[in-house]
Amino acid sequence: MALRTAVLRHLRVPVTGSNQSQIGFLGSIRAFSSHDDHLSKQEVVDRVLDVVKCFPKVDPAKVTPDVHFQKDLGLDSLDTVEIVMAIEEEFKLEIPDKEAEKVDSCPLAIEYVFNHPMSS
Amino acid sequence: MAAPFTLRKIGVPPNSANLTEARRRVFDFFRAACRSLPTVMDIYNLQDVVAPSQLRFAISAQIRNNAHVTDPKALPLISVSLVIDLLLFKGMEELTDIVDHAKQRHHIIGQYVVGEGLVQNTGSKDQGKSDFLKNFYTSNYV
Repeated sequence: MALRTAVLRHLRVPVTGSNQSQIGFLGSIRAFSSHDDHLSKQEVVDRVLDVVKCFPKVDPAKVTPDVHFQKDLGLDSLDTVEIVMAIEEEFKLEIPDKEAEKVDSCPLAIEYVFNHPMSS
Repeated sequence: MAAPFTLRKIGVPPNSANLTEARRRVFDFFRAACRSLPTVMDIYNLQDVVAPSQLRFAISAQIRNNAHVTDPKALPLISVSLVIDLLLFKGMEELTDIVDHAKQRHHIIGQYVVGEGLVQNTGSKDQGKSDFLKNFYTSNYV
């Protein structure tokens, strides 16, 4: 015991790792910033998948984050437009027509929503 | 009634040149209809009756009813894009009427909710009665 205290008096022991990571996590939340309410990628993925699964023509078991609406889920172009509109409603966005035509599959939809500054 | 219609220039002629443009117009019309859904639900107080996603499904089902109009050989005298334009015009007219509150709640519920089978119209008065009466109510003939 005495040896330990004697050694510690002469050494500098760094702070243990778990404490540090916790402070690092808390440090990323800025209380008064208006730019921090951006959605996390996982939340976007979950909500987009929920929207696709709730579509009546879709088999929920087949829905994965990298599924293509027409090729994998067997939907047609009108269904694709409908899913894009459902995503617009869910995230309170308004996607212009040219961009909406390009959103053809789950990963593209997730990427578009994640990169959009107004999604909520 | 010209003024409210001119506010919506989306489905107005000149006629589409080819099938791709007509197709693009169909999708534009569908998007306009979906974007006006919150207004419609607010006007006709449909919040408890049906969800917006179900109404979207009803709209797409109506569009799909006419999806067979794509074969040029079936309509030799008229071009297919003209037919599609006409159907779009009628759809646009219907949408304008609904958004202008020219229709009433029972129209919307009858045509788009019960008509598409979204909400089953369970007649609570008829439950528990005999089968004979049920068949009698549906038709005169067995």
